Amino acid sequence: MRLTVLILLILSVFTLTACSSGAGNTVIVAGSTSVQPYAEVLAENYSIIFPDRAVDIQGGGSSTGIRAAQSGTADIGMSSRELTEEEQEMWNIVIAKDGLVLIVHPQNPVNGLTLEQVRRIYTGDVTNWLEVGGADRRIHVITREEGSGTRGAFEDMLMENNLITSRAIVQNTNGSVRQLVSNDIDSIGFLSLGLADQSVKALELDGVAPTWNNVMLGDYTLFRQFYFVSAEKPSDYVKLFIDFALSEEGQRLLMLEGLITDMKEAE
Amino acid sequence: MHSKFEIINFSFYYNEKRVLNSLNLNIRANEILSVLGPANSGITTLLRALNRLSDLDRGVRFEGDILLDGKSIFAPDVSATALRRRVGMVFEVPTPLPISIYENIAYGLKVNGKMSKNQISERVEYALRKAALWDEVKDRQHIPAMSLSGGQQQRMCIARVIALNPEVILIDRSCSGLDPISTAKFEESLVELKEQVTVVLAPHNVQQASRISDRIAFILMGDLVEEGPCEKILTTPDDKRTYDYVTGRFG
Amino acid sequence: MKKTFKDKLSERIFLALALSSISALALITVFIIIQGAPIIGSVGIFNFIFGMTWAPSQGEFGIFPMIVGTLAVTLGAMVLGVPIGICSAVFLAEFAPVPVRNMFRPAIQLLAGIPSVVYGFWGLIFIVPLIRDYLGGPGLSILAGSIVLAIMILPTVISITEVSIIALPRTYKEGALALGMSHWQAIYSVQLPAAKSGIVAAVILGTGRAIGETMAVIMVLGNAPALPRSILDPVRTLTTNIGIEMGYATGDHRQALFATGIVLFILIMTLNITAQYITRKKKQK
Repeated sequence: MRLTVLILLILSVFTLTACSSGAGNTVIVAGSTSVQPYAEVLAENYSIIFPDRAVDIQGGGSSTGIRAAQSGTADIGMSSRELTEEEQEMWNIVIAKDGLVLIVHPQNPVNGLTLEQVRRIYTGDVTNWLEVGGADRRIHVITREEGSGTRGAFEDMLMENNLITSRAIVQNTNGSVRQLVSNDIDSIGFLSLGLADQSVKALELDGVAPTWNNVMLGDYTLFRQFYFVSAEKPSDYVKLFIDFALSEEGQRLLMLEGLITDMKEAE
Repeated sequence: MHSKFEIINFSFYYNEKRVLNSLNLNIRANEILSVLGPANSGITTLLRALNRLSDLDRGVRFEGDILLDGKSIFAPDVSATALRRRVGMVFEVPTPLPISIYENIAYGLKVNGKMSKNQISERVEYALRKAALWDEVKDRQHIPAMSLSGGQQQRMCIARVIALNPEVILIDRSCSGLDPISTAKFEESLVELKEQVTVVLAPHNVQQASRISDRIAFILMGDLVEEGPCEKILTTPDDKRTYDYVTGRFG
Repeated sequence: MKKTFKDKLSERIFLALALSSISALALITVFIIIQGAPIIGSVGIFNFIFGMTWAPSQGEFGIFPMIVGTLAVTLGAMVLGVPIGICSAVFLAEFAPVPVRNMFRPAIQLLAGIPSVVYGFWGLIFIVPLIRDYLGGPGLSILAGSIVLAIMILPTVISITEVSIIALPRTYKEGALALGMSHWQAIYSVQLPAAKSGIVAAVILGTGRAIGETMAVIMVLGNAPALPRSILDPVRTLTTNIGIEMGYATGDHRQALFATGIVLFILIMTLNITAQYITRKKKQK
């Protein structure tokens, strides 16, 4: 008797978990934690408009997501960095552009830096805020993990083949970078423009303010492209979601969240 | 004849179960008194009360009093730790500390911090001699006490107590694991010690009581049935129960 | 006839189950070694273990900073956790009145049941800012990791030590007291030495747990793969190294992470063998 109950319990657990994946047509999207919040907005709205379709968004970082798409573990991989030569063989498309900002604590007296200064801070050449016009305090450098698309984009655009210092604190999500910087007056980190909120201060770079407009106009040069990649050309339910992301509705949603899309309307 | 201990109307309760019934007993200075009786009669309880080891037990209470040299041992200004230096105890099993023989005996002396190294080693020798252990360990006092045989360990425990110069030594069935030779040596040292201390002995058996006691108190199920000179209790006791016990009718 | 068959059958089944757990261990060990050995071969074991630079994108695989990180954080956890643990155990075993004991014991068990990620999160929100504001540095540091780990190993240290003390024969303590020792003296000179093997076991179990912990410390260590200069510096351990990079490592990088696993394995094996050696020595006494 007890054995029967046990078997029934196990079976029901399996059935229940199967149920939640929406009859097997769920689109699995994994990858960059930078793209993730935007993909989640897309997914939410997608499910409201099409209640019988489900999308599952996971993080893990750009490299993880690309690899997952490659192996088929995920239907779509999200990347916030440029694709390597090898990765370009996969099916890929840009869904939006994102500004990359340097953030510090709101009460840090420094308001702007040159690209050169940022580079030297991140290589470990410059270690004290005093050297860049701030207080006499040691700089706490924060970076993302090596597989992060945001880090990859940062390195590509700014480091000029120099290595980020091994003394930099490593965090593996955008959220934790932002939280750290908002609590530590001596810290500096980099973040997706759309994710920089009131809790941190985004620095001017080479005199240009890090606003949506300036990225759009091309004056603020630090931006990267957000990619959706897939092992092969997407079909049926996967294609439907990607089409939605690229549609007028999808692009409008992304723009409202702070990304740069082909829609030229500013707020 | 000076009373070392006066036990007055002493009753003892474990969780409200009475194990000693209103005992009245005088223990004389410099005598060996055997407290005899069958198991569970409360003998160990009585001994543990004499040095207030009973303080450690939970759920206990007592009535009556116990006087040491005329002063109550339960008075609020009496420290149990100080009492136990005057009233030492040897247990049923040896309780050596995990250190050398010398250190074991010196431990209690060092704690007070007032003796010089020479004084300590003299006292250790004195104690070992009195405990009839000196000849066997005099050249190896610094080996671990745990490496001694059971009988030797037990004699070391006596030495440890003796080193503190107590006035009373309580012995609770301490020969349980000992061979006859060790037992004999043990009893020999007790008789010698009598000149300086009072001994309250819960003997291993009636024979042991007969060998070395001056007086015997017979306790049955918490009652003091009878007490008197050794010879008398063992041959012509007043109470039939005493007679039945010492002749082995029950045990 | 039937009974013997059942006996034989159950024997076989138990044997099979036991073998399966051993073979799981063997499988994991062999897997790790196969995956990780080639990179140790090509980098060179000396360069791997003593190399100061960990930069997979440049093909550099030196894990010495992580070894130092593991040792430093674990040592810190032991220094903080063991004395507090032993004292708490002594308090519970010797001084606490029964109602206090009945309240403390389940509370400590509760501590053991908290998931490591919750510890890490708490450490991040509570401990890290405290260190940053009052001691300096970014707060993400060896010290933060040690504090979090010390609290995590407390239940282990406390419960095993307490059990060891309570298991001692009553005569140990009474013998000491009967000599006129105070309660503290009895604890210090008799009970703790007598409970030594239990205490050693508790410490070693705690150390093992501290070395292997990943989730709790990944959030509070700062994860900088550099040799720390003080306990306020961020640091990376062998476990967090694997934890952070496993998701996206490929090729040589991935092999290097497995090789890190081999080093961890050896570390823990050494710890366990030392533990067994110590306890065996005690028994021979």
